[in-house]
Amino acid sequence: MEKKLIAQLGKIVGKGAVLTSKEDLTTYSYDGTATWAHMPEVVVLPTTAEQVSQILKLANDNKVPVTPRGAGTNVSGGSIPIKGGIVLCTVRMNKILDINKTNFTATVEPGVVLQDFNLALAKQGLFYPPDPQSFLGCTLGGTIAENAGGPYCVKYGVTKQYVLGLEVVLANGYIMKLGGVTVKNRTGYELMMLFTGSEGTLGVITKITLKLIPMPQASKTMMAVFDDMTVGGQAVSNILASGVVPAKIEFVDNFVLRRIEEMMPMGLPVEAQALLLLMADGSPAAVEMETKQIVDTLKKSGAREVKVAKDADEAAKYWKMRSAGFAATFGAAKTVLAEDVAVPRDKLAEFIGKLGEISERTGFFISHLGHAGDGNLHPAIFTDVSDKENFAKAQDAMEEIFEAALSLGGVLSGEHGIGLEKQRFLKRAMDPVALNLMIKIKSLLDPNHILNPGKIWEEERV
Amino acid sequence: MAQSYDRYEQIKRFEKDLSQCMKCGFCTFWCPVYQEEHIEASVARGKNMMIRGLLAGELDYTQEYADRLNKCTLCMACTVTCPAKANIPNIIVAARADTVKARGLKFPSNIVYRWLLPRRRLFGWVVRFASWFQGIFMPKTEGTIRHLSMFLSALGKGRNIPQIAPKFLRQMVPVVNVPPAGVKTRMRVGYFSGCMTDFVLPDLGKRIINFLTRNGVEVVVPREQGCCGAPVFLGAGDFETGRKMADANVKAFEGLDYVVSDCASCTSALKDYAKFLADTPQRKKAYEKFAKKVKDISEFLIDVLDLPASAYKPSAEARGKKVTWHDPCHLSRHLGITSQPRQVIRSISGVDYVEMPNADRCCGMAGAFSMHYYDLSKDIADKKAASIESTGADIVVSSCPGCEIQLIDSVVRNKLPVKVMHIMELIE
Repeated sequence: MEKKLIAQLGKIVGKGAVLTSKEDLTTYSYDGTATWAHMPEVVVLPTTAEQVSQILKLANDNKVPVTPRGAGTNVSGGSIPIKGGIVLCTVRMNKILDINKTNFTATVEPGVVLQDFNLALAKQGLFYPPDPQSFLGCTLGGTIAENAGGPYCVKYGVTKQYVLGLEVVLANGYIMKLGGVTVKNRTGYELMMLFTGSEGTLGVITKITLKLIPMPQASKTMMAVFDDMTVGGQAVSNILASGVVPAKIEFVDNFVLRRIEEMMPMGLPVEAQALLLLMADGSPAAVEMETKQIVDTLKKSGAREVKVAKDADEAAKYWKMRSAGFAATFGAAKTVLAEDVAVPRDKLAEFIGKLGEISERTGFFISHLGHAGDGNLHPAIFTDVSDKENFAKAQDAMEEIFEAALSLGGVLSGEHGIGLEKQRFLKRAMDPVALNLMIKIKSLLDPNHILNPGKIWEEERV
Repeated sequence: MAQSYDRYEQIKRFEKDLSQCMKCGFCTFWCPVYQEEHIEASVARGKNMMIRGLLAGELDYTQEYADRLNKCTLCMACTVTCPAKANIPNIIVAARADTVKARGLKFPSNIVYRWLLPRRRLFGWVVRFASWFQGIFMPKTEGTIRHLSMFLSALGKGRNIPQIAPKFLRQMVPVVNVPPAGVKTRMRVGYFSGCMTDFVLPDLGKRIINFLTRNGVEVVVPREQGCCGAPVFLGAGDFETGRKMADANVKAFEGLDYVVSDCASCTSALKDYAKFLADTPQRKKAYEKFAKKVKDISEFLIDVLDLPASAYKPSAEARGKKVTWHDPCHLSRHLGITSQPRQVIRSISGVDYVEMPNADRCCGMAGAFSMHYYDLSKDIADKKAASIESTGADIVVSSCPGCEIQLIDSVVRNKLPVKVMHIMELIE
């Protein structure tokens, strides 16, 4: 990149907010994925929408790629500067501008970390449900660009259901306002939804207004173990069919269950093939009633054992166990390929059966964990990226997993996005006319394709 | 990326910590340095990837590299919260050691670390000599803090620090301190007086010795003991000198069942000998045995001595006061000691204990870190000052003279009506 350009960036954001050393650039070359990496040529850390606008204008005039990112915790390759150029990192735009208890809204800058936001809301008895499990690191701007989900989304929906207003800087530097602060808003096309889940390819989000709800008064956590994974999967469908929507339904398999028991012994039957963690929340009376109904359905569906956490401490222990299991899976092999497919909820048991067949056919062990309540699983294959043959076979096995999910009416990605990780499967998963329309929208908003180029679809083939 | 450990013997020992990081970025939430700077090189994930780059030959250990890697307080907040349990501070220390081995230490670090710190008596005289000049060269500060001493002023530009004591602890107390007449001797322990207690806070040392002897403990203060070595092997990565200092301390306390220390950083460093410095099976055995004997003062009082609450009477300064506790990183996360100091404070009659929010958050001192990055260190400390202020406490106590220097500086700068004390200064 020309020195002149870097100097101009320095003029826009100030000296301490432009990083160019090889050491610093290395630290902006990766995200939460296992193997993707590419070095940017410069990193800028703006603090205002005006600065973002000037950066984009400069980049657009010079046709330099810009990869917008927050904390870089995504697991799709979305924030990797695959074409070099500028990394535009919004973490220093981290002010909570307003929390309105009457309107049930909050307005924030994009770099606010989700957990900081949650802590601020909790003080006022408010609740923002989307809970990607990177909540300790991820920024709100990132969760909107990725349209993130998490365990709570079974009952409360994903990020897009909470976005009321956005301020977005377009590729040409124009600062555009979309939506507002009202829950209802029928003014033309839902353009906000274009940017929600756009993975940084259409604009840079600089201000966000979110819908909030009151903090549920009570909750109860349950745990159920099963001798058979498909029975566990069927139990999830049965609970939903019974007319209750738990706040969370998480699923872990025998592999994860064993790791949990090793790390924090709590007398789990280590030969059990599946474990479900569930939560009911709402008013105390509703929680009591729903808990009873869920426990009954679990037992009727063939659970070997059902436990209800006796207090908040025990419940916290169960959920900690779930995140420990998640960590164990990712630490289990040199390279762990974890996917993010989602299937219709009534197909969950069938899908789990298919995963078993794929594992048997390919010889790869497949660990299962995920948000069973919305049919969103993270099947993980253990491999080693430095072992080329094994890694290629692992990727083939992953492809079979995608095929299985799609054949059941499922989708490639439930909550992580396409990024780099899944773009080679996109054509199979999307109507070709819709894909073409998507690319046309991109060209309309970003004619020079400077914003996060190389993401979502494979460039060469279109 | 292909990794080579040829030139990085110490890093190799912690290879597992390096490979375990899955880049989730949770450490960003806990890292006191990241929370100020908001750049990736601040935080464990970024440092981990920089070290992988070093091993892959993509990065060199340049000054710029060292500067980024060293910008860490080794507070371990990332490690204890890491889902993959990756201990990045281990690798930072190891990387420092590999560099020193390959390139040596630079002036003036070589003089201070290799020559001065290992010679406790001489070090004392240098400190004393420096203190004579404090009035001539240094500006006077306001409030409870007196002059800046020349030696400690190396800590940085205008920091408020305590004065060098007119008389050092080793000049004030005998080697063997026996319980007073009428008190039965229950046990015999060694007292490790760190550099700060020896040169700056000798009254604290005297107070601890008195308290222990009054409660039936014979206290031995070996003259052969020296600096714990933390600034040398952990801070500067000079493992060779570190071993000499470790060996000297192990020898100085031979034959004693316990080594009691009033400084969390020293305690942790003494226990870290085995992890970082054991290059032979003999040393490993000796260091491990030594580590078991080392006890933090509050840990010793609660877990070993097990005194009744009535033994803890308030000192004149503490009586009727509201007191809050700051967890030194070296005590809470490095050694897992959190309940004992709180139990000590709660046992003191007439002292009102109040827990501060984020009591275990790093104060930003971290030895040489605060000299190299004073502004950053101050920003971290300001968050601690806000925590202290929110409690309305009259006194903030800790058990690490390093933290205390930082706390004094931050309460003075923030004009808080709060006194900074060592936990043992609460007790008569």
